[in-house]
Amino acid sequence: MKLLPPLLVCAALLRSVGLHAEMPDVRWSGFATLGMVSTSASDLRYARIGVDHPGAENPDFGPDTVAGLQGNFRFGDRLGAALQVISRETPEGRYTPRPSLAFLSYALSPTLTVRAGRMRVPFFMLSDTQDINYGNPWVRPPGEVYSLNPFPDLDGIDLLYRLQLGETQLELHPYAGHSDLPLYKNGDIGLRETLGLNLSLTHGNLLVHLGHARARLKLQWNDPDYRQLTGALQMLGRSDVLADLSGDDGRARFSSAGFQWDDGEWLLIGEYARRENTRYANSGHGWHLTAGHRFGNWLPFLTLARQTQDRPIARTDLGDPALTQAFEGFLASRNLAQRSATLGLRWDFAANAALKTEWTRTHTDRDGWGSFFPRGEPAAADMRGRTIDTLSLSLDVVF
Amino acid sequence: MSSSRGPLLAWALALPLALGIQFAWADIALVTGRQSSIQELGREEATQLYLGHRATLANGQAAVLIDLPPGPVRDAFYLDLTGKNPAQIRAYWSRQVFTGRALPPRQANGAEEVLRWLAEGQASLAYLPTGVLDQRVRVLLTLPSP
Repeated sequence: MKLLPPLLVCAALLRSVGLHAEMPDVRWSGFATLGMVSTSASDLRYARIGVDHPGAENPDFGPDTVAGLQGNFRFGDRLGAALQVISRETPEGRYTPRPSLAFLSYALSPTLTVRAGRMRVPFFMLSDTQDINYGNPWVRPPGEVYSLNPFPDLDGIDLLYRLQLGETQLELHPYAGHSDLPLYKNGDIGLRETLGLNLSLTHGNLLVHLGHARARLKLQWNDPDYRQLTGALQMLGRSDVLADLSGDDGRARFSSAGFQWDDGEWLLIGEYARRENTRYANSGHGWHLTAGHRFGNWLPFLTLARQTQDRPIARTDLGDPALTQAFEGFLASRNLAQRSATLGLRWDFAANAALKTEWTRTHTDRDGWGSFFPRGEPAAADMRGRTIDTLSLSLDVVF
Repeated sequence: MSSSRGPLLAWALALPLALGIQFAWADIALVTGRQSSIQELGREEATQLYLGHRATLANGQAAVLIDLPPGPVRDAFYLDLTGKNPAQIRAYWSRQVFTGRALPPRQANGAEEVLRWLAEGQASLAYLPTGVLDQRVRVLLTLPSP
């Protein structure tokens, strides 16, 4: 019931505003993606860790399919609100609609806006549009970068300060709050006391983004793999290792830097992101570079991407070779390191609709599963050091 | 040679003429209602408003913007004012709207509705081909045809 507080705040404020005679200016809009992913290997499937439910279907409609409805409200000159409800597969495998935006905004001045409630947590350059695939060239933002931080929401407060410097538009975006996410399977992960600052510069066709955030990390794995491992560790009396795998005393730091050039013909996008965790989850960094060229309504593009692990969840000598092997398997299943090359094509076949297709060749690292999940029995499959092709198709609409 | 040059020459003359007619009505003006409190509007301010970078006018009032239905006038307006082509501007506005950062311009069914909304004070700013303007509106800025 973590959704309740922001919704109650919104409801209360909307009602108090409603007492004023002024009719709010309301605009409804929506977006949807029907997407499918298919993999070349039969013992695994593509998964967006922390986003969708690792299932067994091939092709899988879970990773990319999403639908959302949004109302933008304005009450008078300064007060506004946004409410967005989306439905997409969760790590628990449900499609229950949930509020993804529920905030009030107040213009303190024409250039300074304060917002409170549920917002998108802006860890990346394109965080705001991670579900609005129509706004981006790809079927989905490159996983090597965007899987470094799966949190969608920020329940809290932020400031948007916009400054015009000649022809350059500068935006400062400090934010504070907390985030929660269910984890496959029956686990959960949360950020507390998150503090972050984003800076973005827009100059003509060029957008530059810089961001940094810190938070307290709590994480509880609860999948069969984890329970099996912790059972063995408990028997060996290794509570020191256990304390590094799950708990509520971690620290997380996150940084990102990106640019986007779009002159209407050429499209160049690049982003780098780094996450540092003291425990519970690994530390790593990733980057991608995308280059595309528009030919009328057609946009073919090429993306190169890489994620590297900087530090595994824990390092320890467990002595027993069988246990060491199980431990390494556990660490690998939580390491998304991989590299990939993608050829894609976007076709804007109607005013508010696009068809996209992407073919990706991915090499998972020797100590990581990458963005893949075993189909069937996890212990029987190994995702490490594999070369896997994926084919994605999607239809995006906005209305 | 000359026989093949004939039709070519005709095309060379006819094409700009045909396009000229297109451009003539694509001369676009940014307008407000005759009774509106907006006295002036700079090009930069207009750009910021139509990109959702700002939501208020210089006098602090919330700006209510109008869009024409999708079509050549709307495309020409955005290309001229913001430098973004139709696909870019649609993707751009979808990002603004769905992040809740900006309220999109309200879409009118056509020029007549735009004129009525401005006259009734239901909106503060719109763009229209200069050919359809009448006594109900005041021109703030003219975007010369390319």
